[in-house]
Amino acid sequence: MHPIIEVQDLTKEFRTFRRREGVWGALQNLFVRERITIRAVDRVSFSIQPGEIVGYIGANGAGKSTTVKMLTGILVPTSGRIVASGYVPYRDRRHYTKHIGVVFGQRTQLWWDIAVVESFKLLKEIYEVSDADYRERLGVFSEILGLKNYFNTPVRKLSLGERMRCDLAASLLHNPPLLFLDEPTIGLDVVAKDRIREFLKEVNRLERTTVLLTTHDLSDIEELCKRIIIIDRGKVLFDGDLREMKARLAKYNQVKFFLKDRSQVAALARITTNGISCERLDDLTYLMRFDREHYSNADIIRNIVTTLEVSDILVEEEPIEDIVKRIYLSGEVA
Amino acid sequence: MKRHLRLFALYFAQYAKVRLAYKADFIIAFLSSMAATVLGFGFVLVLFTKIPKLQDWSFYEILFLYGFSLIPLGFFNVVSWNLYQFGDLYIIQGRFDRILLRPVNTLFQVLFEKFRLESLQEVVTGTFVVAVAASKLHVPWPVSNYFWFILMVASGALIYLAVFLMLTAVSFWFEDRVGIVPPVFNMLTFGRYPLTIYNVFIQFMLSWIIPFGFASFYPTTHFLGRTSFNTYFYLVPVVATSFFMLALFVWGRGVGNYSSTGS
Repeated sequence: MHPIIEVQDLTKEFRTFRRREGVWGALQNLFVRERITIRAVDRVSFSIQPGEIVGYIGANGAGKSTTVKMLTGILVPTSGRIVASGYVPYRDRRHYTKHIGVVFGQRTQLWWDIAVVESFKLLKEIYEVSDADYRERLGVFSEILGLKNYFNTPVRKLSLGERMRCDLAASLLHNPPLLFLDEPTIGLDVVAKDRIREFLKEVNRLERTTVLLTTHDLSDIEELCKRIIIIDRGKVLFDGDLREMKARLAKYNQVKFFLKDRSQVAALARITTNGISCERLDDLTYLMRFDREHYSNADIIRNIVTTLEVSDILVEEEPIEDIVKRIYLSGEVA
Repeated sequence: MKRHLRLFALYFAQYAKVRLAYKADFIIAFLSSMAATVLGFGFVLVLFTKIPKLQDWSFYEILFLYGFSLIPLGFFNVVSWNLYQFGDLYIIQGRFDRILLRPVNTLFQVLFEKFRLESLQEVVTGTFVVAVAASKLHVPWPVSNYFWFILMVASGALIYLAVFLMLTAVSFWFEDRVGIVPPVFNMLTFGRYPLTIYNVFIQFMLSWIIPFGFASFYPTTHFLGRTSFNTYFYLVPVVATSFFMLALFVWGRGVGNYSSTGS
């Protein structure tokens, strides 16, 4: 199949000036400015097939937003190539934007002062959506996202969660084949997050919409994405299947267990030997991490139940947060 | 083009609806705009109690000039709201990203996302004053003058737009607020009096650098039957179009710079 997004050696450099501090520094800044170049995105390449949901993750300042801004045509790359939906985004901006939907979690795309439904009507005209399509899509969206109750509320009076749902609906009114989401669940409560994830899955299933999302919240990724791309300091560290990454890079498994009573605490020292660490979560709950290569789950559980009196045991894989954190820290994929 | 006209009507209707929903706010804005206009005319009245003529311009001639200058300015003021806040709202707060994400011309979106409805008052007042002054002066008014009048008003508005668009576009390069807009804005008032009362330097500047003279003074001289600046009168649409084209060019370069620096 033909990829819907193709990115090759994408690079973005920003030129800025080093700012000196203090009054004397400010005066110096006026006359002598020292140029510095920052490479925010460094020879990034990937391609995405139609219908994929891809998580694009990285720490703050890793280059996620800069990449999304280039993919959406807001920024012109310093070098490299992008073809998305058959367009070069920054060059064919006005045609290209008809084929994409964009949501920035931090900033609304809607008009601040006017009612939600009026914003939708304006967007309908801007994107030249037919009356029938408009009615149908709005019906579907408002049902899944529960928008009906605040159709007539001005955007500025909406809560963050409500606003996010409206932004999502707005970005899909013209049924774009490509959807970019930059931190779509930032600052939302669990229920709101859940609703948005369900909606995205539904849209992806029904319309085969390709989705690229950046996020800090790795539970988004686990819920939505089969594939992730990890970037750090502008470079791609990992690109591939999420489950494969876990299998390859997870070092630890963890066991959470609940002690029967406090008398058991003293016995804990006996089971934390080589390659096993034990962390106290609260009075009676402990979390034990162990190296997957040296111990099997069965070994550990047997060890625990023979030495301690426990009321419950829970075995988990290493959380994806921890894997990703390790990747960020080491700056490479082992 | 047709699509943009329809979008304009929609944007305008939307904004008017919001604006009129807050009645008190709108009425206060309207009254203060009106007060500013009345004060301006009040100054001319006071001035002419002290002097019989300004150079060789009579009271009603000055009134005509002053009234005429308000008409294109009023139209410009209706759409210029976002230009004043452009650096802050669009560049520093980053709203320009959203503008770039829509399949509509960037300038169209910036100009027509907000309107200053109350400034239509200036158009009405200006027209009224011009009509009164013209009848007192018994200015000959052939039918073709209606055509010229509309063309001059449109050109004037275009000149104001061009000048402030260029100044606004500077924000694409210099994020920090640039302090050149207020002084230039104050120069608008220079165009309300005969250009000939100023020294040569200012005359030149108001004609060829910041061509406010072409927006009010040169059209007026022709309508009042003063023939000394006739050539300038016919140049008005040319000057307006050229400055506007230049402004569009600068704006386009600015947009390009924005998307390559991401400020």
